[in-house]
Order: sequence, then structure tokens, then C-alpha cells
Amino acid sequence: MPDTTNAAKATGLQIGDPAPGVKKVDPILVADNVTRNFGGMTAVDVAHVEIPRGVITALIGPNGAGKTTFFNLLTGFDKPNTGQWIYDGRNLAGVPAYKVSRLGMVRTFQLTKALSMLSVLENMRLGATKQTGERFFSALITALWRKQEKEITERAMELLARFKLDTKADDYAASLSGGQRKLLEMARALMTSPQLVMLDEPMAGVNPALTQSLLGHILDLKSTGMTVLFVEHDMHMVRTIADWVIVMAEGKIVAEGYPDAVMDDPAVIDAYLGAHHDTDLGTLTGQLEVAIDDDDSLVQQITDEIAAESANTGSTDDRKGTA
Amino acid sequence: MAKAPNPTPRPLRRVLGLLAVLIAAGALTLAALPAAAATLADSTPTPTPTATAAAQYAQIWVRVAADKSNVAGVVVKVTGPQGFSQSFTTGADGKVAVDAPTPGKYTFTLDTTSLADATLGPAINPLVITIATGDQGDPAYFLLKPGGASANPSGGTSGSGSGGGHRVNYFDLVSNLTANGIIFGLLIALAAIGVSLIYGTTGLSNFAHGEMVTFGALTGYVFSGILHFSIPVALISGFVFGGLFGYLQDLGIWKPLRRRGIGLIPLMIVSIGLSLALRYFYQFLFGPDQLVLPVPAGDTIAVGPVNLRPIDIISVIICIVFLLLVAFLLLRTRIGKATRAVADNKALAAASGINVERIIRIVWVGAGAMAGLAGVLIGYHQTLRWDTGASVLLLVFAAVTLGGFGTAFGALVGSLIIGLLVNLSTLVIPTNVQNAAALLVMILILLLRPQGIFGRRERIG
Amino acid sequence: MDFNFIILAIGQILAPQTIAFALAALGLAVCFGFTGLVNFGQAGFMAVGGYGFAITSVKLGWPLWASILAAIVAAVIFAFILGIPTLRLRSDYLAIVTIAAAEIVRYTVKTPTLNPVTGGTDGINGSSVAFDAINPIPPGRYGIGILTYNQDDLWVIIVGWVTVAVAALFVWQLMRSPWGRIVRGIREDEDAVRALGKNVYWYKMQALIIGGVLAALAVIINIVPTSLQPDNYGTQTTFFLFTIMLLGGATTVLGPILGSIIFWVVLSLSDGILSLLVSNHLIPITQVQQGPVRFILVGIALMLIIVFRPQGILGNKREAHFGA
Repeated sequence: MPDTTNAAKATGLQIGDPAPGVKKVDPILVADNVTRNFGGMTAVDVAHVEIPRGVITALIGPNGAGKTTFFNLLTGFDKPNTGQWIYDGRNLAGVPAYKVSRLGMVRTFQLTKALSMLSVLENMRLGATKQTGERFFSALITALWRKQEKEITERAMELLARFKLDTKADDYAASLSGGQRKLLEMARALMTSPQLVMLDEPMAGVNPALTQSLLGHILDLKSTGMTVLFVEHDMHMVRTIADWVIVMAEGKIVAEGYPDAVMDDPAVIDAYLGAHHDTDLGTLTGQLEVAIDDDDSLVQQITDEIAAESANTGSTDDRKGTA
Repeated sequence: MAKAPNPTPRPLRRVLGLLAVLIAAGALTLAALPAAAATLADSTPTPTPTATAAAQYAQIWVRVAADKSNVAGVVVKVTGPQGFSQSFTTGADGKVAVDAPTPGKYTFTLDTTSLADATLGPAINPLVITIATGDQGDPAYFLLKPGGASANPSGGTSGSGSGGGHRVNYFDLVSNLTANGIIFGLLIALAAIGVSLIYGTTGLSNFAHGEMVTFGALTGYVFSGILHFSIPVALISGFVFGGLFGYLQDLGIWKPLRRRGIGLIPLMIVSIGLSLALRYFYQFLFGPDQLVLPVPAGDTIAVGPVNLRPIDIISVIICIVFLLLVAFLLLRTRIGKATRAVADNKALAAASGINVERIIRIVWVGAGAMAGLAGVLIGYHQTLRWDTGASVLLLVFAAVTLGGFGTAFGALVGSLIIGLLVNLSTLVIPTNVQNAAALLVMILILLLRPQGIFGRRERIG
Repeated sequence: MDFNFIILAIGQILAPQTIAFALAALGLAVCFGFTGLVNFGQAGFMAVGGYGFAITSVKLGWPLWASILAAIVAAVIFAFILGIPTLRLRSDYLAIVTIAAAEIVRYTVKTPTLNPVTGGTDGINGSSVAFDAINPIPPGRYGIGILTYNQDDLWVIIVGWVTVAVAALFVWQLMRSPWGRIVRGIREDEDAVRALGKNVYWYKMQALIIGGVLAALAVIINIVPTSLQPDNYGTQTTFFLFTIMLLGGATTVLGPILGSIIFWVVLSLSDGILSLLVSNHLIPITQVQQGPVRFILVGIALMLIIVFRPQGILGNKREAHFGA
């Protein structure tokens, strides 16, 4: 596992003893009473949760705990049955996804959404906000947006260099490996200059060789003052970089606290980790879904990667037939 | 999943087995109806106009001579060349358009028993009008005067009150339209369930499904119209060859395309190309004119205020039996459960040992067979032409969309709604926009409930 | 044997019909090829635009510019009516709603009740009056051999091709701008674009409007030299447009234009060859059977193109991936 021990962990984030729904000293996001039902099943039922500002918070829980659904609700990609959440003093309930993003709360997806038919650089440019040339009539006159396009390109190239993707700038995003796409998606999200970055399983499907740089980039975000909230199954990663951990199970927040304390809590281990403490069950699932979702020729590429990784981690579970 | 099914599938055998079950059921249904089959009614198709427009048409307009007020709900029987025989009911404006598939001399006979006011009658009855190629709206106007000409067509014009010259009142009109709506809805349902199952298991919106319906209808025509076999043979042949057509289509086109990993939208476009090619190939083979499925003469059967031809009753029974059978297969049998599993989550179904390809093939065979059967029945119910299937395709889609894509039960309810809408809307709007009304209602319902009536909200993401 | 059909087929290169289908297919490319909207109602947009033009021009006697504006406004309104309920839904809903709406338009304008306004099944004649009134070309015959045009034919052809050129430039500029980047992103994965703060719904609406307006302009070129016939705007017209667009290249600007030229020339040639063979009894089919053959050919061509060459003649294989 990567060496990221130099990252200083934040302390004193909460008011009172760590417990589900505990108040934070400086929350960036406060959610109340958020519920979402699918048919008869309650996928999310969060009574109260606060996300601390300026640090890295991990959202963990077993499969089907409602983590991604909660993410979708917070970012406007899904509509809750009840509830509201305040981001930076503004109620975001009912605000459409694109406006949430404009307010500085940007997300990535569990299944990477790099736009593979655009070049890497075009992907990056797409992330830039307030572009004159994105308005219909301005788009018709190149002179109105040429200068801004140049500035955007410069900023995009800087970010790409940071993520070591600058040599790929003119390639189609389709030619990137799974891990590079995760990096691209993260870099693209940063083009929007966000305050709160929400990463849905940033490690899923990432080649082990790239995990270290990915972790480094997430820690970088914190050092530049951004808040990070991420969903992850990889317990090593959570333990290594998270300042605060929130545990979900069956749609509810069941535990909260500092990583070491939470992950050593016998109740959490029972509820979530069980006997499989040391095997990254969740990571495998994430990869499986990546393979199912993409029905184009990339599937082969990804399945090959999974096969390679399965071989690395010693897993003999052959799921290729499902892709 | 713990239980893995037999790892060596014998797809063809299963397909044939399923087919055999369906055929047996169909044959039993028919065998159980000897009495009804023996008394098949006259060859007057019920007044469900086709969605297609002929190159020429005449316009029936019934008015009261005294005050020029329009008379709705009057039944006019129209006969013409090439066995054209159809009854029309005037709409709220007293008018109804009569699409004439071929030019020639047409006879318009007003059914006086359908007049609400018995004291009035048409001055001239019947009217004989020559419709020339390309004529648009040749006048077939009836003016009603007190005690007009007493000519009264004999035989069973549907929609007329039976048993002693009862008048068709508004209630009877609504009853008749409702009955027709239900019949038409059930016929559409037979085709719609296939569309829904194919969509559910493969994600394909099959625009060539109308051609599968026409295929069945034309098969029925070949067997009964050309080779002079009986009606049950026509129905069974439509069903069997329809199934075979579905099987061959999947084998020859859809399976190879799935293998190539072609996306859903390109697949949809392939189905459009196939639809165009097949439809005009039918026209190439059978010509552009209306074809007639022969029905032996017989009496209509009165069910309350509704008059039905025996073939209509047989249609209803066949439809209900097959719909129940499909429901049974889906809910109770292994193959049906596997089908639902594939529709729900293909990857998961495959992972739990279900042979997805085999299920899809069975669905194609079943969908083709039911579409074929629906085609023959629609041929008996209204008219048969090279584009009969295409003319109901959008209504089938509307039914499936209304019910919620991929839900078989929803397709049935959606079909009934569409059938009723198409028929009952003629009470207030001209008959030639009745399909437009049904489509409009579909769009409006989508506005309110995009997932359809029975769809799950999550599916439309 | 009469080989004049070859020259007539060549004449299709310039014909108003070719121009109209090129424009409408370009509009379709904006919707489908670039933005990924499965618009099966392009014929409906043509009908709406055509009636907007013909009713205001012929029945109400509006000046030419006002009638053109009416056609455009009609297409924009139609785009809003279709787009508002469906652009938030899955793509196959848009497909079914647009095809249904196009048929609703066709059924409705054919209603005898509307005869005084729409001309019923006859449609509307005389759209050329206002258009020809401003024709600057002196009367006479222009051209060579059997391919000659009178001043009014020539006027339509010139105006038509200038319109195509302007429209092509317009689409090209739009697609190379940041606006085009967004719609191309939407074609691939609209959630990704939404997550970056773009109002996806509004961009899809804009694309639908542009596609519809191009269809409305196309139909004007089509009906000026002939007349407005409602049955010319049935579903088969939309499918012809899809064939044309995919043939040339759905993700290119020049593809739909090239596609339209090839489509009509080939169709005209095949009709000619077939007539020749039939009238000389070289193949065992009747003249009645000759009619459906062109549709069979188009259907087969559409299937083959989308399967074996989805990028068309001019497109880039990588880009021609029309998502699920």
C-alpha cells in the first residue's frame, strides 16, 4: 500500500463525543431527514449528518447501504422523498444537478464517465465554467470566445501535467486506461474550481500501480483548501487518508468518528466488515459493475484489467461471462 | 445463486416445446368453439377504420333536411369493388370519411334502424357513387326527411340494434364502440406483449414488429384466401409461421448483431430499415390493394345492446386464452421466470446460470407467433393490406409506452386503453383523426407519468 | 432503349428535392449525430414548417419574409412542445413521442374539417407566388441538353444551395465552438456533462430547435417548385432522412449534404434502370411491382449502413458510436 503517512490528520472536528449525527465545528454540508424509497424499500434514511469543511471525509458501508444513492441525492441526480440539506448556507433540496455543480459541489461517478469520444483536452475544457462560447449566439462568433478558450486550455494543461496526463492531451479519452480515466475525471472536476469534491469509489477499477498517485492527488485537494467526501470500499485507503469516517448501513448513518476509532469499533466491524476484514470485497464488486455497464469495445479492455488485478490479488473469481 | 441449471442447453428443443404448448393451446381453443366457428358471420368487417389512408375517399354526411342539423351515430354500409364491404358510423359532425382502396362504383346504404328519430328517413337510399382515382371526398350525403324512403338494408350491419327494429340510441352507440374498443385492444395486446418482452429482454424497440403482424396476416390470407383452408387453419398457420419468422429473424439478424455488440439505437435503426424493406416487399408480392380474408355468411350474435360477429367473439376468446397463457408462462414456468430475470438484469441472470441467448430466442419465437396470430385476427377484424401491421405499429407502441416499457401486464392494460380510445374518440372527433387522438393521449400521459401506468419510476432514469 | 434517365439522374444533383433533404438531414445530424437525440419526427418538423409557410403565404397573403419567419416560429414551437415533456426522459421515449407527434400532425392536417385552412389531403398549392415574385433572373431557358431550367426553377436551385451553404457553415461553426463541445459530450454521457454544471436539458432543447428550424427551411425549398402534400411528410420521409444522414456521415457537416445527393441520384438511377428492364421485359416483374422496389432498397441500405459503416462516407469511425 502507498506511503502516505506524511499526511497530517485533522483533529477536533466535532463538538462532543463522536456519534451518528454529531455536530461539527465547521460543517460545509448539513443534511436533515433525507429519505429515498425505491418501491417498498428504503434506500436512504439519514436523520442528520454534517460534513466537516476542509478535510477528507470517507463514507463507508456494505453494498446496498445507500451510499451512492445518498451521493446522487446530495448532488441533485436523484430526488429524495423527504429532507433537505444545507450546503454553505444554501438549501439544495430540489436544486437541479447542474446548479449544484455550479455552486461548487462537484462529483465524480462510480463508473467512470470520461467522455471517450472527446480528446483528453476537450474533456478538460468541458469542465471550465462560465464559458462565453457555450452560449448559442456567442458560439457563432469565434472572436468572442477565442481568448477565453486559450486561458482555459492553459489551465487544463497545468492540471493535466499535475495528473501526468499532459502527454495524452490530444488522444481520445477512449485510449486511456481505467485508472487514467479516473484521474481524468477527477482533473476535469477540478476544472470547475469546486469547494466540495465528492468522489464515488475513486479506487474502483484502478490499477494498483496508479493507486498511490491517486491517493496523493486526493490529499493535494485537501492541502489546497478543498473539502473531499468520498465513498470507498478500500479500507486501507480510508484508514490512510480520511480524517473523518461516516458509516452507513441499510440507508442509515450507524457510526461516525475518526478512522482508527471507527474502524476498530466492534459494532462497525460486525455490521460491515465481518469476517472479510482483510479482503476488499467491495472493490471487486465495483469492478464488476464497471465491466457490465460499458457495452462497447472497451469492455474487453476493462475485463482484461480486472483479470490482471484478480490475478494480482489472488482472486480466482472469474466473472468475465457476465460482461 | 446456488442452483445452477443444466449447463448443456438444448435451445431448439425448448423452443419447439414451447411452441408446441402454445399451438396445442391455440388448437384447443379453436376446437372448443365448433358451434361459433360454424356460424361465422357475414364478411362485413366491423367499423374499425384503418390507420392508413387510401389514395381516394368519399365523404358520408347525414343531415336533417329541415334544419340542416348533423346526425351522429348513423350506420352506413358501404360495398364496392374487390369485395369491399364495411360499415361506417357517423361522428359528431354527422360525417365520416370512407377510404376507398380501389376506384370504382360504391354503394352506400343507410341503416335506418340506426336512426334515433324513427320519424325521419333518407330521401334516397341506397346511394351509388363512382369514386375515381384520386378523388378526395366524393359526396355521399343523406338528407333525412319525415317518412323518407323505406329502403332498409338486410343482413347484419354491425352497430345496429337487433330484435325488432330497436333504435340505436347514444347508449347503444357507446356500447358498440366500447365492445369494438375492447376487441381491438385485445388484438393490439397480442402484438404489444411481444414488443414489450423483446424490449425487456434485449432493450430493442422493434419498429419491424408491425411487419411481423402483417406477416401473420398474409400467411393467413395465403392459407384461407388463396388455398381455401378453414379459419382455424388460417389462425394456426399465422401463429406457427409467425413464430418461425421470429425465430429466423433472431437467428439471421438480431443474434449476429448482438454478437457484434451493436448499440441499442443502431439496432432500432436496423429495425426501421427492416420494417421498410419487409413492408414494401409485401407490397411487391401482394400488390397495393386491400386483401379479403373470406368469412362464411352467418348471423351476428347480440350480447346486450352489442352486436358481434362470431369471428369477433372467437377473437376475444383466443386473445384472452393466449394472454392468460402468457401470464401463466411468465409467472409459473421456469422459462417464464428466467425470462423475467433476464428482463430485470441480464448480467445477473447470466451470472446465475441462465442461458440469456436461449431466453431471447424463445422470446422472439413467442413474440413472432403472437404477432402472427394477432395479424390474422386483425385481418378478420378490420382490413388486410401490405401495411396493416405498420398502420397499427404506433398504436402498439403507444400501448406499450402507456403500460410501462418492459412490463407485460402493463402492455395489456395499455392496449385496452388504446383500443377504447381509438373507438370512443369517434364520438367527439372525426374518424380520421382517431389514431391521432390515441397518440396524443399517450404523449399527455407520458407528461404526467413518464414511467407508464405500471412501470417502475427507476427504469426511466 | 432510352437512356435519358441517366441524365435525369444526374439532374438530381441540383434538384430542389435533393436540397431540401440535404437541409433536413443536416438538421437531423445536429439532433442525432452531434447531440444524440433520437428524433424520429423530422418529417413532422417539415410538415409544421411547410404549413406555417404555405398557410401564411397562400391563404393569408403574408409577404415572403413573414411567411419564412412563420415557418421557423412554427418549428420552434413544435420543438418546445415535443422537447419539454421528453428531453428529460430516456432516449427511446423521445423516439416514440416524436414519431407519434409527426403522425398526429399529418393526421390532423388531413382532417376534412380543416379543409379551408390546410387543404385536407390535397394540401396547399401556390407557395411559389411570393417566392418567384422577387426572382431577379430574366425569363428564359437555362442549362444544357434535357437538363434545362426555366428562370423560376433556377431561382429555387440557387437560393436553395446558398441556403445549404450558409446552414453548413452555421453548423460547422457551432460544432467547433464550446457549445458544440457540450452537445458532443451530451451525446456520449449527459450525466457527466450535467455534473460539470451544464444545463443539459436546455442544450438538448436548443439542438432540437436547430434541427427543426433547418427542417422548416428545407420544406420551403421543397414546396416552392411543387406543392405541399401532407402525405409527403409521413414516417418514411424521416427514415429517408436517417438513411441520407447515415450514408454521408451523421457526425459530419458535409455528410448529410453528400448523402442527399448520392441518395437521390442512386434512387433515380435505380428507378430508371428498373423501368428500362421492366418495359423491355428483361425481368419478370410488373410495373405495379416496380413502385415498392425503391423502398425495399432504401430499407436494406439503411440496415447495411448502420451495421457495417455507421460513420457513413465522411465520418470518423471512432465518433460514430451512437450510445445506448
